[in-house]
Amino acid sequence: MNTSYPGRLLIVDLSSGTIHNEHISPERLTSFLGGRGVGVKLLWDLVSGSTDPLGKENALLVIPGALSGTSAPCSGRTTLLAKSPATGRYLKSNIGGWIGVSLKLAGIDGLVFTGKSAQPVYLSLSSKGWQLHPADDLWGQGVRPTTRALKEKHGADVEVMCIGPAGERLVKFASVMTSYYNAAARGGIGAVMGSKNLKAVVVDAAMGELTVADPNGFARAVKRARDLLYNDSIAEDLHKFGTARDVDALNELRILPSYNFQKSHISGEVGRISGRAWPDLGYLKGIVGCAGCIYSCHRFTRIDSGKYAGTYSGGPEYETVASFGSGCGLLDPEPVFVANYLCNDLGLDTISTGNVIQWAMESVQRGVLSRTDCDGIDLQFGNGDAVIEMVKNIAYRHGLGNLLAEGVAHAAEQIGQGSQRWAIQARGLEQSRVETRGAYAYALAFAVNPRGPDHLHSECLAEFGGTKEGRALVKRVAGDERYAVPNIEDKRAEIVRWHEDIYAVSDALGLCAFTTTAAYSLQEELIAEILKTATSIDLGPEELLKVGRRIITLERCFNLRDGLCPESDDILPWRIMHEPQPDLPGGGEPITPERLKRMLSEYYRLHGWDTHGFPTTTTLQELNLTFASPELSDAYDNCK
Amino acid sequence: MQGHLVVDEDHCTGCGSCMLACSLEKEGKFSLFLSRIQVARNEEKAQFTPAVCIQCSEAPCITACPVEALSRDETTGAIKLNRALCTGCRQCVTACPYGGVQFDQTRDIPLICDLCGGTPACVEACQLPHAITYVQDVTGEAT
Repeated sequence: MNTSYPGRLLIVDLSSGTIHNEHISPERLTSFLGGRGVGVKLLWDLVSGSTDPLGKENALLVIPGALSGTSAPCSGRTTLLAKSPATGRYLKSNIGGWIGVSLKLAGIDGLVFTGKSAQPVYLSLSSKGWQLHPADDLWGQGVRPTTRALKEKHGADVEVMCIGPAGERLVKFASVMTSYYNAAARGGIGAVMGSKNLKAVVVDAAMGELTVADPNGFARAVKRARDLLYNDSIAEDLHKFGTARDVDALNELRILPSYNFQKSHISGEVGRISGRAWPDLGYLKGIVGCAGCIYSCHRFTRIDSGKYAGTYSGGPEYETVASFGSGCGLLDPEPVFVANYLCNDLGLDTISTGNVIQWAMESVQRGVLSRTDCDGIDLQFGNGDAVIEMVKNIAYRHGLGNLLAEGVAHAAEQIGQGSQRWAIQARGLEQSRVETRGAYAYALAFAVNPRGPDHLHSECLAEFGGTKEGRALVKRVAGDERYAVPNIEDKRAEIVRWHEDIYAVSDALGLCAFTTTAAYSLQEELIAEILKTATSIDLGPEELLKVGRRIITLERCFNLRDGLCPESDDILPWRIMHEPQPDLPGGGEPITPERLKRMLSEYYRLHGWDTHGFPTTTTLQELNLTFASPELSDAYDNCK
Repeated sequence: MQGHLVVDEDHCTGCGSCMLACSLEKEGKFSLFLSRIQVARNEEKAQFTPAVCIQCSEAPCITACPVEALSRDETTGAIKLNRALCTGCRQCVTACPYGGVQFDQTRDIPLICDLCGGTPACVEACQLPHAITYVQDVTGEAT
């Protein structure tokens, strides 16, 4: 056993209420590291194609990164995994806050929940032991009261991760929350937790300890990493103004998704929904960092006066602002703050929640839904109170909210009348707020993302060429800085592949992706050094990226085994593929099926996948994934 | 060279990087309770309160120690512990009005910031929020 990284898993069978621990083999830790890497292999082993995502046979995994709990910069992130109730396929959803660091300090490298409890329960654990407790009195409570109650019972310093009413009601885009307002938001991971009658996890790390293999070498490597990250072009701005800092600038550049992607520019005073304005407007009350983060990009906002006075929460982030703000036609930040607070407390993904509401708004705009269909709510773009009402109705499944709670793909299928064309989703997941018609690497990355079209498997910011670090990265992976422009097809596959690899490595190690794919300062060589001094896992930079490739390829195999057909499934939302976006600079042609196919062909070739998008036997051998090969043959025959 | 730490709770983001850096520097491993600097976190209200020894010139902890286990390092100005003398009575912990003396229950000894010999690890880990500053008294320079 690797003493600085024992790989200790706590296996919780919720059906029987029994808990035991197992150790991951050192070989598997070297191959998959931790977090998303260890998680995808476990999920591959535990879950099969016929598994009902909301049935007791689904597994829920909570795996901190291999570096979480150490002082490696921004290394406190944790990956949750399950089969997704939104897409029916692979799901990883990443969370910050303190939960992963606390698990590691308590001596736990991962939690595996199987089965289903007959009654609501929560799990408490520390370095001394663990226990399941009844949670009947917490069931129905929001995230804030649940967290408060558990801290009151177990101590102010414990960390709480829980679901809200949306997760209990199996809303297909319910989140898991920790530290009150940090979310594992995407793909309905909260519904999986709700389906198991698991309300919360409580971790007491107060007396825990974690060692590293070479403390002095580790301290030196971490010092180098911090110095690079402090000096990155985005560091100061990200800390001071957060992820929503440039909403107005994106609007100026005409790349801000607005009105359900009908526009990429919104007229009027956009400045107030930009994070840069919140200090002066008096909304910003604090800046919050996840455990071990040296950037601290999280906002804490409160409304002091007016009809929403007293509303406070962490955030909102860029995605939330673009979702409830420009997406819903709101230029007043206050209803955006309220919707953000409600999602955090009810346990909802702000991206998908805003997306389904925008779809309903456009359905009203086009006369497909009437005010009666909307339960009397005046669901017009720009109506903040209507947005707020709908958020609540979705979480509690009231009226139209019950339909929207199933996700935009399902809602559009039910309502029909062409509304699938403005359902901004692919493979069942609502797209995040990136105008992919003006960002081709993002478009390609979204089309192949195993959980659906979003930015959290491959954040290709470098293609915009906005920072010197991003341009240098494009030069390194594509050969020339001139490829750092977002609306060309050339070299998109190279750019996406590198970003996918490093993102998977970041998720496996618990590193915030901002250190590797926004800041771009922390790169393979130094990460490998930090990993080696922390865990004795000795991989060179190439081998480290290969672990990322192994993770991505196994995720691909998981979905192929489950019935994904690349020909019909490696796609983007209909609107993105078929409608232009005239607001965009340069005309904004759609990412047509032909254009996407050209980029996909190059992407498959770089990955060593065949022309149908299946990994070849040779590729699986090179990545030590031959165990997946026999399980793909039926899938291959079915797709062809 | 004598100095002390100044903390500004309005700038603290509750990330705990200082605590992790401190426990690595002083103990060679990671733990929250072994850190000389402690941050009380209330995420719900985004209220974060760091507490650390501020190296008082008239140090109540030194006065309170019944066995003279605490003294001032003439070089750095930091308060230092003679573990051979310490009985683990915790009077130094009680005497500190700032919550700057932590106590390690596993070894029965107080944990007091020694300024890492002049380059405090916690300060290096807090360069963007600037919630912790090392002030050198002789020159008046801050790092």
